Amino acid sequence: MAKEKPNPEKLLPLTSSVFHILLALSDGDLHGYGIMQEVAEHTGGQIRLGPGTLYGAIKRLLGNGLIVETDQRPDPEMDDERRRYYRLTDFGQQVLKAEVQRISKLVSVAQRKRLLPKRT
Amino acid sequence: MSLSKRLFQLMLLAYPREFRLEYGSDMTQLFRDCYRDIQRASLISAIAFWRRMIWDVIRTAPLERWEALGRRYKIMKSLKSDLIGLLACIAILIVMFLLLGYLRKHQVALMLGYSLDAIITAGIVSNLIIFPLTIATRLSAFRTVWWTLLLVNGALLLIATLIGNRVDPGFSFPAVAASYLVSFVFWLTFHWLRSQMRPQVS
Repeated sequence: MAKEKPNPEKLLPLTSSVFHILLALSDGDLHGYGIMQEVAEHTGGQIRLGPGTLYGAIKRLLGNGLIVETDQRPDPEMDDERRRYYRLTDFGQQVLKAEVQRISKLVSVAQRKRLLPKRT
Repeated sequence: MSLSKRLFQLMLLAYPREFRLEYGSDMTQLFRDCYRDIQRASLISAIAFWRRMIWDVIRTAPLERWEALGRRYKIMKSLKSDLIGLLACIAILIVMFLLLGYLRKHQVALMLGYSLDAIITAGIVSNLIIFPLTIATRLSAFRTVWWTLLLVNGALLLIATLIGNRVDPGFSFPAVAASYLVSFVFWLTFHWLRSQMRPQVS
């Protein structure tokens, strides 16, 4: 019997930390510290993931098949072998896209209500 | 650094053991990386850093504990359900055995006697295989039950045919075959009902 394809919409809305972790991994494989730095960078330092928040979210993301652990190292020269790298799966990419579309619709509503300036 | 690291490792005790085993060293590594970043910063930054670390543990450790507790509860519930299933199986076998004794004493209903014989014999053999396999392994419960019942009932039918022809002049193959079919359906239904009551452990 074929395995039922999971529906990305079922996992929405994502929590803030999960969304930022997936967004950080959309550029390529990262380890925990790399994810944390990337999140801090793209939120202008507003979100700083603590170890418990980060690895709790990673545990759930691995469980739901949104990310996987990878043996491949982006830069072997700079690599510390003890670190675990994570990669966004195809399903994770679908969930991230679905969440971005959901947020985008909300932004459109906010624009219609003149809460945000329209994008040019 | 060493003292800070030890302090953080002490804080990690707030998390459940399995979570610590899986992510404890990664969390410590992340802490060390973050700590290195603030080492040259002011005292205020250091206080903000520790406040953030403590708040993170306070916020996330109960969540992880709660999840671990939920998993354990499901396993316990599943074991309880298996035990009830096993007791129900033993009770069925005892009742069948007593009924068979009564039928033999009064020499009535030959077909029913064959069926009870098959249910008891196949029940004892197949359940001795099914229960340990479904409790102790991650094998698909339905497939285990299906194949065990099929093989055990088939093997017993074969043995009964080979022996019965020689020792019993009134041996009837259709009656024995039908009785093992009844036994197969009976135990399959029993295990299907049991699986409906068994909580799924993820």
